[in-house]
Amino acid sequence: MSSQAVLEFARGPFFYFALLFMLFGLAYRLFNVISLGWNKDRVVPMGSKSKGVVITFLKAFLIWPFIPWVKDTFNRNPLIYIGGGLFHLSLFVVIILGTPHMLVWKSLIGLGWPTLPLPVVDWMSAVGIIAMVILLINRRIHPVLKLISGPAEFVAWLFVFLPMITGYMMTHHIGGSYEALYARHMISVDVLMIWIPLSRISHFVFYFFSRAIHGQEFGKRGVAV
Amino acid sequence: MPEETIQQSLASQGVSRRDFLKLSGVLAAAMGLQLPPLEKSGLPAALGVPEQISPTEQTILNALETKQRLPVIWLEFQDCTGCTEAVTRSVSPSLTNLVLNTLTIEYHETLAAAAGFQVEQAKQDAMKKYAGQYILVVEGSIPTDLDGSYCVIGGRSAVEQLKEAAAGAAAIIAVGNCAAYGGLPKAKPNPTGAKGVWEIITDKAVVNISGCPAIPEATTGVIAHFAIFGTLPKLDKLNRPLTFYGKTVHDRCLRRPFYEAGKFALSFDDEGAREGHCLYKLGCKGPTTYSACATIKWDQGLSFPVQSGHPCLGCTEPNFWDGGGFYEGQSAPLDRPTITAVGAAVGVGAALGIGTALVNQSKKKAHKGES
Repeated sequence: MSSQAVLEFARGPFFYFALLFMLFGLAYRLFNVISLGWNKDRVVPMGSKSKGVVITFLKAFLIWPFIPWVKDTFNRNPLIYIGGGLFHLSLFVVIILGTPHMLVWKSLIGLGWPTLPLPVVDWMSAVGIIAMVILLINRRIHPVLKLISGPAEFVAWLFVFLPMITGYMMTHHIGGSYEALYARHMISVDVLMIWIPLSRISHFVFYFFSRAIHGQEFGKRGVAV
Repeated sequence: MPEETIQQSLASQGVSRRDFLKLSGVLAAAMGLQLPPLEKSGLPAALGVPEQISPTEQTILNALETKQRLPVIWLEFQDCTGCTEAVTRSVSPSLTNLVLNTLTIEYHETLAAAAGFQVEQAKQDAMKKYAGQYILVVEGSIPTDLDGSYCVIGGRSAVEQLKEAAAGAAAIIAVGNCAAYGGLPKAKPNPTGAKGVWEIITDKAVVNISGCPAIPEATTGVIAHFAIFGTLPKLDKLNRPLTFYGKTVHDRCLRRPFYEAGKFALSFDDEGAREGHCLYKLGCKGPTTYSACATIKWDQGLSFPVQSGHPCLGCTEPNFWDGGGFYEGQSAPLDRPTITAVGAAVGVGAALGIGTALVNQSKKKAHKGES
């Protein structure tokens, strides 16, 4: 099977299946959790629930990332905080503001937007890759992390790492012909999309719901967090 | 007169010794053979090496002087004659002349003066006379459905004609994407069951000069290579000569610096397009398209599609008609789910999720009731 044929499969039917499987799986898990229902609230709220939700999101995205040192989560684990932060920023820059990725979004949702120059995206992807490696080493040597890390954590790490490293190799033409590199990148992306609903990588959907629920709890109790 | 050597034939047409030497140089360049660098001659670069013949040129010279003329049989099936048109308007007039006139094209439907039974007879005679010696050039794909009845010439199907001609060929060259990989006729849903030559002729090496049309210098260069060395040039995995298909269009593109700098044309008439920025966002397939298009170019090196402002369509690659929209980003997926498919996936997922949650709840209640 030629690289071209593998590439066509990875960009064609495999991508199609992976995307639908991911959407199906995420919908299943999300509605499954939401439908569990929660206990009746008999207490009179001390503040606005929706205000709490808005505040918690604003703080999470616009305040804490810029003054992280005021938080315990940063002071106790600066490496994880910085590494994790840079990794997520890198993901955002590469997946949303990288030209080839924007064209994928455009073909899927019919909407395009301006992108960053290749060197900027390239450096950010390198930052993401380095952050992932450092976080893996930390996970392997940190006494507490070592105890709570099982195969699932390492499999998830690998499935996220592969699209990043293959994408980087593809941009720099390392390790084969362009279509072979492209095929590897697409296969790793397809595998990741299938793995997302089966693992905790689905947090990128759950995060917003759990944050909203916490926010309304804070709002209800009148706590400014 | 196949007994005549190539050099003798050229001489009888009035080609001087000097022009003959020049032709050898052109041939060496066309075949991608390496000429020794100037400094090796021991002369200052500024002086050049007048009248000095490199070893490579000498090899070609010797071959042309001793080898007999090479008969070529050129078959056309499901094609548009574009590759023939390209060859007859090739960049190097001397090279085209060599291939078209000197190498004796014994049979070519477009170029033949005769027609009908006469030309069919001429082909049969040529195949008999030069059995095991001729080069078979195929242009156009071969339909295989309905016993090949989609393309019938002189009452016989293309498959039959190809197999017959291939049996006595010394070398087979598939010119153009159609002959190489099926091309346009093979595009989904491939109503005629079109195939490339190498899918049908499996017992002999088939050189694929893909492209739409094939770059004429690649076609004539390969024919010349066989005429001179008696062997086929080095091929890649898709049987394309590496000399012409070793690098991608993207690798050699004059707009490449704009790609690196992230400067793109977003439409065919915006500022970026006028400034000559990269056409990647307009669907250029250059990064995965192997071809010498960007270096040899067309019309005597005047230009090539990307230079003229049009994204590369990827015409040297198999299945390029089905390789995504021509004006859609190359990274775009080939198969996209419709809104209905997405809705169904999300809907079924949500229904299953809610369903299992409700079942679990009722189980929990029942369990509580028991206790």
